[in-house]
Amino acid sequence: MKLRSPLLSAAAALALLTACTPGTGGGGGGDGKSFEFWSFSAINQKLTVDAYQAKRPDIQIKLTEVGTSTETAQSLTTALAGGKVPDLVLIQGDNLPQFVQQPQNFVDLRTLGADDVKGDYLDWVWRQSVAKDGEVLGVPTDVGGMAVAYRTDLFAAAGLPTDRAAVSALWPTWDAFIETGKRYKQATGKAFTDNAATSVFYQAVNQVSEKYYSADRKLVYSTNPQVKAAFDLGIKAATAGITSGQSSFESAWSAGMAQGQYAAVSAPSWMLNSIRSTAPDTKGKWDIAKIPGGSGNWGGSYLAIPKRAKNPQAAWEYIKEMQSPQGQLEHFARVGALPSTPAVYQDSKLTDAKDPFFSDAPTGKIYTDSLLGLKPFYIGPDSAAIGQEFLNAITNVEQSGGNPATAWDDALRNIKTAIGE
Amino acid sequence: MTATLSQASRAAPPPPRTKKIAGVGERLSAYAYIAPFFVIFGVFGLFPFAFTFYVALFDWNPIGDQVFIGFDNFVRMFGDPRFWNAAGNTVSIWALSTVPQLLLALVLAHVLNHARLRFALFFRMSVLVPYITSVAATAIVFVQLFDRDYGLFNWLLGLVGVEPIDFVQSTWGSHLLIATMVMWRWFGYTTLLYLASLQSVPRSVFEAAAIDGAGPWQRFRHITVPSLRAVIIFTVVTSTIGGLQIFTEPLLIATGAPLTCGAVRQCQTLTLFLYEQGFGQFEFGYGSAVGVALFVMVVAIAALNYLLSTRIKADR
Repeated sequence: MKLRSPLLSAAAALALLTACTPGTGGGGGGDGKSFEFWSFSAINQKLTVDAYQAKRPDIQIKLTEVGTSTETAQSLTTALAGGKVPDLVLIQGDNLPQFVQQPQNFVDLRTLGADDVKGDYLDWVWRQSVAKDGEVLGVPTDVGGMAVAYRTDLFAAAGLPTDRAAVSALWPTWDAFIETGKRYKQATGKAFTDNAATSVFYQAVNQVSEKYYSADRKLVYSTNPQVKAAFDLGIKAATAGITSGQSSFESAWSAGMAQGQYAAVSAPSWMLNSIRSTAPDTKGKWDIAKIPGGSGNWGGSYLAIPKRAKNPQAAWEYIKEMQSPQGQLEHFARVGALPSTPAVYQDSKLTDAKDPFFSDAPTGKIYTDSLLGLKPFYIGPDSAAIGQEFLNAITNVEQSGGNPATAWDDALRNIKTAIGE
Repeated sequence: MTATLSQASRAAPPPPRTKKIAGVGERLSAYAYIAPFFVIFGVFGLFPFAFTFYVALFDWNPIGDQVFIGFDNFVRMFGDPRFWNAAGNTVSIWALSTVPQLLLALVLAHVLNHARLRFALFFRMSVLVPYITSVAATAIVFVQLFDRDYGLFNWLLGLVGVEPIDFVQSTWGSHLLIATMVMWRWFGYTTLLYLASLQSVPRSVFEAAAIDGAGPWQRFRHITVPSLRAVIIFTVVTSTIGGLQIFTEPLLIATGAPLTCGAVRQCQTLTLFLYEQGFGQFEFGYGSAVGVALFVMVVAIAALNYLLSTRIKADR
């Protein structure tokens, strides 16, 4: 878009800034027999909506797959600011804090009976959607346990073990993971993993007991030794020559995955769907091993009801039915999203689940194990921006020839610019 | 419009009795005819435009509080290295795309204007094809051509033993890539502007020069370039304004980090920075301040255009 008229350009850049007064008023006023649902694309939400439709044929659901989780949050922000809001919306965990800061935009789910179901969910997951005066803004739909997906055929070619227990034993720590990468590189001359920023740093930094904020919600990203340690691991991986330098989800990353340019990729539970759809021809060539460094969580989403929703009651009934422990277990069976309700973690439907795409790996067991002993940390309004700057600093070292010695200081300076403190 | 209507009414005068009323109606109807444009312009152009100046004075959270902070957004902007980085990238990409583009267009227009060119119409039309291709399509194809691992361009370089270049992740590479896309898209349009202007130069001038012994270079240097002076200034100014607004190309080339155009904002332009702040971070006030800064730059360049073109007219 290269607009040739100054007025046009000004108008184009700014037209969307109009009508930005947040809506007031209570909502309701719908027929109670239908509701609008905004979800992400490519997570097979339709299967679950269809399942609900089968149980409740009297309810009409209008499902809109807005886009990626970030795009959905952006559309929601715009809608809350003055447009037509959905009755039910899925919000990814990273985007949640910005909405929790502004609880007046959402229905406090306690008014609909959230306190009755609170006990079903992992406590630390539930707490992330609780606003400052105790308002409950969302119900957790899933969590993102962590693991590493690896290519058994490429591991075999490099003389590495292929059995998932033996592979897990290769890397009890992230340092051992990087060493394994060097072995692979030496044997094959090819990259071991996709990139240092997401496959190493972003995993390691989610295994801490305190991340960018302290438990009492103060910013500690610059002084927290756990963050620095995770960052140093990222830099170490970036400079070890074991990555193919392809950032997650960019087009070269997808092509690289389909062509086996890298043999291992960090895979939170929701990543399995991505691998399946990105590289369908590699079916059966993957397996899943434990994540180095212990338990942790990356991702997971929440269902929320905007304040101005027309049919909040119908939306709440959907949440209650489909996000119950049994509902989440069925959702796991359909699409593989890991339940946020610990009651079903021992259910044989989950523990016996095997995924043929990943050499019949027991996905349910691997991912729930990765959550055991997890130390929950507070995620604040600037967590996403801080994480992005750390990622950028590592990607800069890996892909743009940045200086690893100054990367930490550069990242801190960029964070300060971005969040203003 | 008004003139045409009153001429028409003079040509066929209505019966005298109703003359006055019809006159009023006709005069008002003229405004009704042009009203749709002005209403739409007011709603989608003028109001957002003025509103931006207002929002720029606030810490404006679209779903939260809007706090008046005076000129703090502008103070912050002048001290923000990301703003100056984006400004530098914009200037760099503009220079890399505009200078070669205008030179190429000048030469092409000269060639296309040649008296003995066969299939002239075909060539003149085909230079416009990139212009009518969608920017998004252009960007997607170019990114694939210049890809580090699978790109045609790096494959060719590999044939002669050159290491693959990561165009998107390096500063100069990304600027070159964007400049190439911009150039490819706009050179045909500029060429046609020059050609149209050249065709108003009588062919006899070229012929007389040829008879007097002027070679092709001399004809180009002493006839083509001087006769295009006004339109060259025009294209420099319009492409500068366009260059300040490059947006889609940088947004689409770094798919891993689109809003910043790469991990270290190596190809983030001013408009992309505005978009990142406004619609990525939802800092509407700060984004609007960047929009106001962009507006000031565009106005300054437009004023320069006005000064230069009036001076050229005065010279004649």
